[in-house]
Amino acid sequence: MSPTQQGELDPVIHAAARLKITATLATLPVGDRITFPRLQELLDMTPGNLSTHLRKLEDAEYVLVDKEHQGRTPVTYIALTKAGRRAFEDYTDALRQLLGGTA
Amino acid sequence: MTNNTEPQRTDDAAEMLAVIAAQQRRVDRMMLRPIPWMLGLWGVAWLVGFTLLWSAYEGGNPWFRIPMSVAAPIFGILIAGAIVASIIIGIRLGRGVKGVSTFAGAVYGVSWSLCGMAFAALGMGLIANGLSSELASIYFPSGFALMCGTLYLAGAALWRQVSMLVLGIIMLVVGAIAPFFGAPTNNIVMAVFGGGALLIAAIIFAVRLRQGR
Repeated sequence: MSPTQQGELDPVIHAAARLKITATLATLPVGDRITFPRLQELLDMTPGNLSTHLRKLEDAEYVLVDKEHQGRTPVTYIALTKAGRRAFEDYTDALRQLLGGTA
Repeated sequence: MTNNTEPQRTDDAAEMLAVIAAQQRRVDRMMLRPIPWMLGLWGVAWLVGFTLLWSAYEGGNPWFRIPMSVAAPIFGILIAGAIVASIIIGIRLGRGVKGVSTFAGAVYGVSWSLCGMAFAALGMGLIANGLSSELASIYFPSGFALMCGTLYLAGAALWRQVSMLVLGIIMLVVGAIAPFFGAPTNNIVMAVFGGGALLIAAIIFAVRLRQGR
């Protein structure tokens, strides 16, 4: 992933679905992870849709997807990476600047 | 405005900011939705429980009297029920999330039982050293209120919840002033001010959640 140029909006986040996912993950404190079903519930997305967008975010190394086993049931945990959190903050800053963030 | 602002891009930016705000509000609402229920349950438990105790003591409720053998067990069931409900709500609040905040939540949960036992043990120790039953009936409700107040303050710091801070302060004030009314009037002070504060907090919290803060 090449770093975004100044004034350009990060194309990975600049899509309503992925923006919602990133915004939701950003509400978790640093160091916390969330399960796939709970994230799905918070977003009201279908599993297929959520998986597709998560893969794009994962490819950009903005989210970390971990598969663990609790007993026999596999549990998927999702968290924002440091780069992902930074990208989200840069993105919101860029939006505010576009809206005349001179103040 | 003939600057080089591109209207399409600024519209887009405003829309995207709105998407972020709406989604984060939704997450807040879903995460905090059980809290008014928890406050409401505690409010009812205090209001009904302490009113029953007040009605059981001689010189308490002037309108009717309830035998202590009825009031005390109901009080116990109400408080135990509220504790169980809080634990269930606490577990539901944190479900699906794992990490640094799990530890804080677990410690906070355990604190309630540990503090409850410590305050109860202190009361027993005082009784064993000759504390009269009248004084014990002043100590226990206040000790309990001070414990709740302190733990609400800790919760306020942990989750940066102003409503919990306000509630904690109210509990501390109610617990501290109730003994000055003497037994058994201290019980109705606990019921009205303690229970009332919890119920008002529940309503305020519910309204604010509905309005999205």
